[in-house]
Amino acid sequence: MLNKLPIISIKELSYTYPNSTEALRNVNMNIYESELIGIMGKNGAGKTTLIRTLNGLIQPTKGSIFINGEIIKNKSIATLSKEVGIIFQNPSHQLFANSVEEEIKFSLKSLNLNKEELNFRVDKILKDFNLEKYRKRSPLNLSGGESKKLALASIICRDPKILVFDEPTLGQDAKEINMFINLIKNERKKGKTIIIITHNVEFAFEYIPRIILMTEGQIIADGPTSKVLNNEILIEKTSLILPQTRQFVMKLKESGFPDLDNLISKNQIIDYLMKFIRKEKTFIKGI
Amino acid sequence: MSLEFLNAFKFMKKETLLHKLDPRVKLLFAIIYSICALLFTEIIPLLIIFLSLIPLVLIGRLLKQWIKSIYGLSFLMIFIIILNTLFLSLTFAIAMILRIIIMVSSFSLFFLTVDPNDLALSLISMKIPYEFAFSFSLAFRFVPTIAKEAQNIIDAQQSRGYEMQKRGFVNQIKNLFPLLIPLIICSIRRAFNVAEALESRAFGSKKERSYYFTIKYSLKDWIFTIYLLLFLISFITIRFFFNNMPEFFMWSLPV
Repeated sequence: MLNKLPIISIKELSYTYPNSTEALRNVNMNIYESELIGIMGKNGAGKTTLIRTLNGLIQPTKGSIFINGEIIKNKSIATLSKEVGIIFQNPSHQLFANSVEEEIKFSLKSLNLNKEELNFRVDKILKDFNLEKYRKRSPLNLSGGESKKLALASIICRDPKILVFDEPTLGQDAKEINMFINLIKNERKKGKTIIIITHNVEFAFEYIPRIILMTEGQIIADGPTSKVLNNEILIEKTSLILPQTRQFVMKLKESGFPDLDNLISKNQIIDYLMKFIRKEKTFIKGI
Repeated sequence: MSLEFLNAFKFMKKETLLHKLDPRVKLLFAIIYSICALLFTEIIPLLIIFLSLIPLVLIGRLLKQWIKSIYGLSFLMIFIIILNTLFLSLTFAIAMILRIIIMVSSFSLFFLTVDPNDLALSLISMKIPYEFAFSFSLAFRFVPTIAKEAQNIIDAQQSRGYEMQKRGFVNQIKNLFPLLIPLIICSIRRAFNVAEALESRAFGSKKERSYYFTIKYSLKDWIFTIYLLLFLISFITIRFFFNNMPEFFMWSLPV
């Protein structure tokens, strides 16, 4: 991975809001093609500000951002949005058209597609997202989960290389989260780079391989999820909680179970416990 | 596009003479200045009214926010200049700009210096029913929230290729729909949520209310009220006897 050129390269990025709040301070990071990364940290850590700089919604006060090796400074939001699709938390902030179909067409309008291509893409995305039955329905009459799906569809239909999700699991039920997990798996298969802002530790621990932790506008950790999220000091600094597996391992440690240091995933813990139970059984039989 | 200029209407706590004035005086100030601005279509009297605002801005230490509020009007000002110059005259266009600046500035000074809680109290003291006073102060308090929401909507739409600047007047109007519809829907939903939250806390269950804080009209409030009344009377007089006024009052641009 290190031999490849990063698809996103952020160098010494700083941003101060007009009211003098320093939202980002000297942020440096590289993100590689088809990578799936999570950005975590407490509220006000600068996560959303950071993603807003990626498609030019915010112009950094200092530093630079390179996408595909090109500096984005002089590019318009309309141009950058073809490369970076940001899906914001609240779907009702973008739905306005008369029908679900029109909503998708609005997103595709700026791509200057011919009629056939436009209709093809609309049909495909409605089918992919199981929204065909709502084609003629007003987006304002959709349920929360369906609105979220439509908001996702309206960005993904533009086929950006980089997808950025702001709190995608917030307020979602288990079925909707599963749908989202399948979606990111499919998009990764297509070679998309995915960035997810989340507070959901369990979701991040299970599905995201690399985590960036932020606090007070700075990156304090960047590495494999199992290492970052199992680090108690880092977790404490970012007001997160340890993953349930780690908490369970700590409880086992307190109860005197030996050799627990290398246990990270659910499966490793299950294997460890199974071995332990088998041993105990043999011991009892022996008696 | 940034809606940062809406912060020019957000209350900022400061220890200045203007901030310490009773909210009722400041409401009177905004109304009187707006009335005076509406009395004239000539540059000089409007310019005098405009200049009389500057000392108040300086007393309130609000120069930066005031400039921001005027800057926020730049699009509207360009629009007024073009339309009025084309169909009427440049003098009239400038007068209209001054009129708008005065009206926006006076209300901007009101919003910047009045705490929403004090506003509700002052309206109640003016015998306005509590429900109305509360609704008004609530609406006032929601200005920054709506501004933030509008900014989020702009960001969300721009993220899917929406372009703010489009050529042609009709296109520019059409272009507002993707912003206005979500903003109106979100505002209505919020209003329902707030109403439900208030009802669940027994809002309006008792007719008689008591208040922890009370507001009183002090000497400085009376002095400012007298100044405002004199100001209004002077400009009404100028309006009535405008034809007898010195010639420079009627000055207009040669074009």
